[in-house]
Amino acid sequence: MQAGSNTDNITLRIAEIMIDELKLEDVTPETFDPDMDLVDEVGIDSMDLATVALVLRDEYAVRIDEDDYPKLTTIRLIATYIQDKLDSAAA
Amino acid sequence: MSHQRVEQPASGSASEPLQYKFADLIADPVVRDRWEQVRRYFFLRESTYDMTRRCNIRCNGCYYYEGEKQHAVENSDLEQWRRLMQAEKARGITFVVLAGAEPSLVPERCQVCFDEIPLGAIATNGLKRIPGEIGYRLHISVWGDDETSYRTRGAKEMLVRQTDNYRSDPRAIFVYTFTPDNIDQAETVTRLLAREGCQVTFNMFSAPVGYTGDLRHTPNSLSRTRQAMLDLMVRYPQTVVYSRYNAVAHTHRLGLHDLYGCSYPRRNPSTDVGLGRSFRQYRTDLGWDREAACCVPDTDCSDCRHYAAGSAVVTARLFRHATDPDTFRSWLDYVDTYLAVWVRDYPRGANLSQNLVSPPGFDLI
Ligand code: SF4
Repeated sequence: MQAGSNTDNITLRIAEIMIDELKLEDVTPETFDPDMDLVDEVGIDSMDLATVALVLRDEYAVRIDEDDYPKLTTIRLIATYIQDKLDSAAA
Repeated sequence: MSHQRVEQPASGSASEPLQYKFADLIADPVVRDRWEQVRRYFFLRESTYDMTRRCNIRCNGCYYYEGEKQHAVENSDLEQWRRLMQAEKARGITFVVLAGAEPSLVPERCQVCFDEIPLGAIATNGLKRIPGEIGYRLHISVWGDDETSYRTRGAKEMLVRQTDNYRSDPRAIFVYTFTPDNIDQAETVTRLLAREGCQVTFNMFSAPVGYTGDLRHTPNSLSRTRQAMLDLMVRYPQTVVYSRYNAVAHTHRLGLHDLYGCSYPRRNPSTDVGLGRSFRQYRTDLGWDREAACCVPDTDCSDCRHYAAGSAVVTARLFRHATDPDTFRSWLDYVDTYLAVWVRDYPRGANLSQNLVSPPGFDLI
C-alpha cells in the first residue's frame, strides 16, 4: 500500500476517534475537514488531545509526546505525525 | 540519589511495547465509571482574579504581599468587573478563582463574578462570612492551631471564628497549609473540623521568590508531612478530601514543576493549546501580565508544591499516568480530589488506589 493512502486511512480513523471520544455533533468522519484547526475551529484542548492520543496509542502503538501537542493542530498533521513514526520504526 | 529520573521509553517511538493498552486500564467498570465522570469536567477553563488589595490580617509568607501585584490600583467599578467577566466568558473561561488579598471584604464584586460565571472558588481567610447567594466553593485557609495562627497570622481564635461562619455550609472546605512548624497540629485541627461537620484538604507551604523566613520545607518536614496526611486520611475519611497520590505529588523532594512540568503562562511560552493559551491572572486593577501569570504568582517555582498549582499541573498529565492500572487509578483519585475541592456539589467517590505510586519517571520520595 502507498504511504499516501495509508495516511488517508489514518486521517479517517482519527476523525472517527475524535467524533466518538469527544462526542462531536453534526460531523461524520467523511465530512470532518482534516485541515480544520482543532483548537480554534473545533474547540478541543490539551485534555481532549491527550484522550485521543491514548486511543491512538492503543491502535498504532505510537506515542504522541506531550511536547508535540501544540504542533498537532489539525487531523492531517496528527496523521502525518503517526505515519512518520510508523515509517521510521519500519525503516 | 534516590530522586533521579528513571529511564523512560524513548518518547515518540513507534511500536513502543505497551504493557497495558488504555482500553485495559478502563476495562474495570468502577474505573471506567470514574474516568467517564471526571472527563465530563474537562470543559473547565480557569483564570484567577485578585479582588482587592485589602486584607483584615497579615500572614507571614502571604503570596499577595510579595512582588508587584500588591501595588496595583484597585478597581471598584462594578460595571467594569461585570464587563471583564463577560469578556472572560466570551474568551472561553468557565471557572473563576477569586483571591487576593481578601475577597470577603468586597462581596459585591464577588457577586458580580458569580452572576456572570457561576462556577468557581474563592480563597478566603474565613473571618468574614461571604453571603450565601454567592454559590462558589469557598477555600478557608488554616495555618495551624489557634496559637500558631496567632503567631503567624496575627489573628486570635481563628478556627473558632472560621467554623462559626462556615459550620454546615456546603460551599466551604478548609485548606490546611502544612509548614515545617505545624505538622503535629494537623490532627487537632482535623479532629475539631470533623466534630463541626466540616471538610478539610491539604496544601503545602511553597516559598515565595526571595523568601528568607523559616517556613520553607526540608526533606525531613516533607516526609513527616506525607505521613501526617496519610494518617489523617485513614483516621478521618469523612472529613479529609485527599488521596494517596496527592500526598506523594505534593510532598516529594522535587517540586511540581520538576516532577510534571508546569504549563502556566509564567513557565510555558506556548500560546497554542491548554493553560498557556487560556489562563490569565488578573490584578485588582483588571490588568494582567503573561510573565507573571500562574495560580500562585511570585512563588519560587523550584519550591512550588501548592495545591492550586497541582490541580492543573498534575491533572493535565493524563497521558503520562495511563501506563499501568495503579498509576492510572492514582491519577483518577487525584483528579477526583481536585474536582471535589474546586467544584461545588461534585460527587466525589472513594479513592480507587490504596497504594503509594511514584510520579511517572521518578522515585517515590
Ligand atoms: S509557581 Fe508553580 S504554578 Fe506558578 S509558574 Fe511556578 S511552578 Fe508553575
